[in-house]
Amino acid sequence: MYGPHVAIDEMSLKINSGATALLGPNGAGKSTMIKTLLGLIQLTSGDGEVLGYNIRTEGDSIRQRIGYMPEYDCLTPEMNAIHQVKYCGELTGMNTNVAMQRAHEVLEYVGLRDQRYREISSFSTGMMQATKLACAIIHDPELLICDEPTNGLDTKARGFMLDTLFQVVKQGNRSILMCSHLMDDVEKICDRIVMIHKGKLIAQGKIEDLKAIDREIEIWVWGGASRMEAALNDAGLTPRRTGRVMRVVRQDETTYDLVLELAAKAQVQIRRMEDYEPSLEDLFLVIMDRLGYGVKSSADLLQSQPPTTSVAPAPSQPGGNF
Amino acid sequence: MEDEIPDVDDLFGEDYPSPSQQITEESAAITDSNPEPNFEDDAIESLMQVEPSTPQTEIQPADAEFMGEKGGVVTGRGRMEAAFGTGDGDEVATAQVAQVSSEVQTGTIFHQVYRPWRGNLNSRWVRNWSILRYHIYGLFSKGHKPWPMMTKLVIFGVLIASIGDLLLLTVGAATGVEAIERLAGISRGNLYGHVLSFWFRNACTYPIVTALIIGGMISEDRRNGTSALYFSRPVNRRDYAAMKFLSVAIILSVVVLFTLSAYYLGAILVGGEGWSYVMDTGLLFLGAFLAGGLLVFTYTSIGLALSSVSSGKFFPAVAFIGLILGTKMVAFLIWALFDSSAIYLISPYDNLAHVGQWMLGLNHTYEHPASWSLVMLITMNAISLYILSARVSSLEVTRE
Repeated sequence: MYGPHVAIDEMSLKINSGATALLGPNGAGKSTMIKTLLGLIQLTSGDGEVLGYNIRTEGDSIRQRIGYMPEYDCLTPEMNAIHQVKYCGELTGMNTNVAMQRAHEVLEYVGLRDQRYREISSFSTGMMQATKLACAIIHDPELLICDEPTNGLDTKARGFMLDTLFQVVKQGNRSILMCSHLMDDVEKICDRIVMIHKGKLIAQGKIEDLKAIDREIEIWVWGGASRMEAALNDAGLTPRRTGRVMRVVRQDETTYDLVLELAAKAQVQIRRMEDYEPSLEDLFLVIMDRLGYGVKSSADLLQSQPPTTSVAPAPSQPGGNF
Repeated sequence: MEDEIPDVDDLFGEDYPSPSQQITEESAAITDSNPEPNFEDDAIESLMQVEPSTPQTEIQPADAEFMGEKGGVVTGRGRMEAAFGTGDGDEVATAQVAQVSSEVQTGTIFHQVYRPWRGNLNSRWVRNWSILRYHIYGLFSKGHKPWPMMTKLVIFGVLIASIGDLLLLTVGAATGVEAIERLAGISRGNLYGHVLSFWFRNACTYPIVTALIIGGMISEDRRNGTSALYFSRPVNRRDYAAMKFLSVAIILSVVVLFTLSAYYLGAILVGGEGWSYVMDTGLLFLGAFLAGGLLVFTYTSIGLALSSVSSGKFFPAVAFIGLILGTKMVAFLIWALFDSSAIYLISPYDNLAHVGQWMLGLNHTYEHPASWSLVMLITMNAISLYILSARVSSLEVTRE
């Protein structure tokens, strides 16, 4: 419960070690989920464990083993980076000298070795994000929660941040739970996703497995794309069309034959036909489309709240209604 | 199936040369050296304006220089080699790839290696101590809370001013002027005055010091989002508020109580007093110390409550000074008009002063009972602490 609202409801999920993305539109309950995992919210019902610690009673132990990188600014502008990171280590329970030594290490790791004695107020957005990451990993947490880690970064800084996070998982053998609306970022780092909507779980699992849910065939036609589209619609394949390229859901092995047959009847050339490998963005949009969001990209979801007229009720079953 | 494949001759006919032959013959013609152009067709000649080809002589200027070598020819190939390296491209290719961590050599500018840490994390009290130290050490050294220079200077100035009575006492003892010793010596009035005199300590110094300290104590955590750094770590809100409270209280105590103690001990040492003097005045000092403690506690709780409701340091500071001095002025005006001292109950300072007079055994300057002031003081502190706890609870780790 969050005030009078039910923030997270009927959610049953297990997040394995490795890199997992937490996805969902604005107001889906991502922040509440993070606070719950950090043991900062008292559950009205249900139970859970993070790293083997109970989220109801052992919040301190959980937070000692988790590194949290907030989305928004959380640094003291007048401090320099080394002391800010050191203080974060002390707040976690590190000795002063150890925290200082470790602060040097992690600032070097995040690429701020030469800037560590600079005042944070003079930092660029990328450097601030790197400092926040250093604050989060100073105590070498078992789980790193990153809330929009590439927010506001340019291409170069974004690539560096993603590489850095990737290495935390690969080199450091640590787990990451990453909130992001940038599906490219998610795909680079994470191999699993947890998608929530209106406080309910609608999808979870490996990205590859989820992509396999809706396999599509991409058809490139020539001469009569509209006729082909109409023929596909008549056959119940419901194509999604962009110019000469259209995609239909691959229902079974006979879908190819059916498409060829329809093309022959419509007197349309098929220049190319192949299985379409969907991106995570596609998967996200398909799911959001089913939930009633008329969005063209995942970024749209950050701009506005979902339309009230066409929002379908969230699936009642944990795990979604795929 | 083989029978169905037509032979090449079947396709082209016997009279027509097979494709392979054709290519061979044509290629033979092409490879003939210096083929003679056919100029018989005038029409074609006029259209194409074909001129007889002349063998081109390679120009090799003697003074040409390319890549540091004189006499070389600047050819396309030379330029390609300069751009992409030498060789014909058929040598065994090797790729330069990023080195892995075990192969890092001298000359690597930046190599990103995640180093694990396997130390032990300390208990709650060490974490709380780090919060306390962060705020207090910030007044003296870098690397802790960045207090503004103005705040540091004002605290130092007030500290010096607060030991003014001790300095006066020392001057009196050194010069032997009894009037100075009497003026600055230990007495109920002087002990009260050190802590609770309105002019100038509570009109100018103590509220201003408090305002400067509490101004950004919590409000800056809200504004900068640094609350997320605290609460995403094993720091609970009670400890956070308690350490903030303690930090402010300790700084104020240095200004108020430390200087009071220094004044009392200084008076004993400077005057060469014995145990009987301590027995006579000890309770007075204890009363003044408790009254000072009450002042520190009250100013801290009101100040932090104001700091917690704001997201800037200007409002809490101005509001605190306004509350302490404003209520005093309003109460004074109403008292002057209606001659009722009960209105002073709205003033935190006057409640403190009244209770302090009672603790030190001084004549009360207020007509209403001291117990009323005490109750009001307790009520004000309770409300302030409630606001503080409620507002600290609302500090977010994530932003909605």
